Amino acid sequence: MHRLRSQLSISAVALLLGLLVVLQLRGQQAASTLSGLSTQELTVLVANLDDHNEQLRNEVAGLEAQLSDITTAQLRGDTSVDGIRRDLARVRAWAGLDPVTGEGVTITISGPIAGPGVEDLVNELLTAGAEAVAVEGVRVVPGSVVAGPPGLLSIENTPLGDPFQIRAIGSREGLTGSLTRIGGVVAQLSATYPSAVVTVTPVDALVLPATSRTLQPAYGTPRL
Amino acid sequence: MTTVGQRLRAVPSWQITLGIALLALGFLIAAQLASEGPRIRYTSQERSPLVETVNGLQAQQQSLKDRILTLRAQIQQAEQRGQGSAVVIRQINDGLEKARIAGGLIPLRGSGVVFQLEDSVKPTAPGGNNDDYRVSARDIRTVVEELWLAGADAISVNGERLTTSTAILDIGASVLVNSAFLAQPYQISGIGPKDLYDRVSASQGFADFLRARSATYGLQVSFFQPNPVNVPAFAGTVTLRFARPAASPSAAP
Repeated sequence: MHRLRSQLSISAVALLLGLLVVLQLRGQQAASTLSGLSTQELTVLVANLDDHNEQLRNEVAGLEAQLSDITTAQLRGDTSVDGIRRDLARVRAWAGLDPVTGEGVTITISGPIAGPGVEDLVNELLTAGAEAVAVEGVRVVPGSVVAGPPGLLSIENTPLGDPFQIRAIGSREGLTGSLTRIGGVVAQLSATYPSAVVTVTPVDALVLPATSRTLQPAYGTPRL
Repeated sequence: MTTVGQRLRAVPSWQITLGIALLALGFLIAAQLASEGPRIRYTSQERSPLVETVNGLQAQQQSLKDRILTLRAQIQQAEQRGQGSAVVIRQINDGLEKARIAGGLIPLRGSGVVFQLEDSVKPTAPGGNNDDYRVSARDIRTVVEELWLAGADAISVNGERLTTSTAILDIGASVLVNSAFLAQPYQISGIGPKDLYDRVSASQGFADFLRARSATYGLQVSFFQPNPVNVPAFAGTVTLRFARPAASPSAAP
């Protein structure tokens, strides 16, 4: 009896002990990550998260409407072909499988610049909300990398000339402002590659091609 | 008269064990309370509301992402219920499945490698810049680019799937991927050929990266090869506001 009681007490204390150790470690980890940010960085983070959450809320609203459309149509005995087709067109355009059109910017780059510099530019475009990007005639999709030393740049085995263009669809003002702001990516590139010239031009209508790849995984299999 | 020693011997051993455990418990509770202290003081500072806002927004982001994944799964099921009723529906659904896989909206598993990047533990050299000793967005992008060039199919960073809209940027000493705030260690998971690691490590770009960041500043770069490597689905927006499909012969049927 004594033995059982003592074992139970020790187990309970050990459980509590373990819990506290984990809490302590987790707490320290979380605190150190956010406390490493300055007030200005926290403000940027809040703005970024807020903006992103708004997009996610819109996405949730859109998906809820889509689901309700499909189920209502099915209740009517309809197969909702149009709904599924719209969904297909939307996902294909976003994924880069279909050509897209819209306003945006054209960036012309001339002079010596290395692959990582061009990648920084593409990353900045995506940060600023670009919805589709093409480097010359190649649509940027997962796996497309601009690589090579100055003068020998290529993307997906397509060599890039001098000058070459990057085109991006998104808000003209937003993209232009973000790229050309003081201390922005264009300024940083001109410091790293002083002989390269980067020109950003807002454009009313662009047409970007589809990727030439199927984007079907060769090694990965869907996990359901 | 009983001595203290005799009294102690009379105490059952389980009580002694329990006593020691309770002592440790007390110590931990005290440590926990003490660590709460600075945070309470910290929240009384000017930037504390910002930290709380960040925490709140991150929690919101997580629940929105979960909701998106649930809704997508429900939509996919509902769309497939119509399957079999007509050949055309089946074709569209097949196309949709392929498009979702292409876009990264479906989780994948397969062979590959996981690279882990962590800040340096070396002291900053006199006159040096602390930032050089931390993992930056540029470091993560370099490893990602090397994985793509080596033939990776799909990549995620700390559970954030890389898609056509993914940006990786610095925010203080941490990074944002798909607008999710990530902290080190950064685990970059790539699905690809079985020899994905060998291909990456044989590349000049990766060797340059190791020399510039690991050898010079002590950035900790490690790797492991779990079998399989898992890469989750993208849980963000696929809604286009400025771009719309352009008519083309290769457009969807």
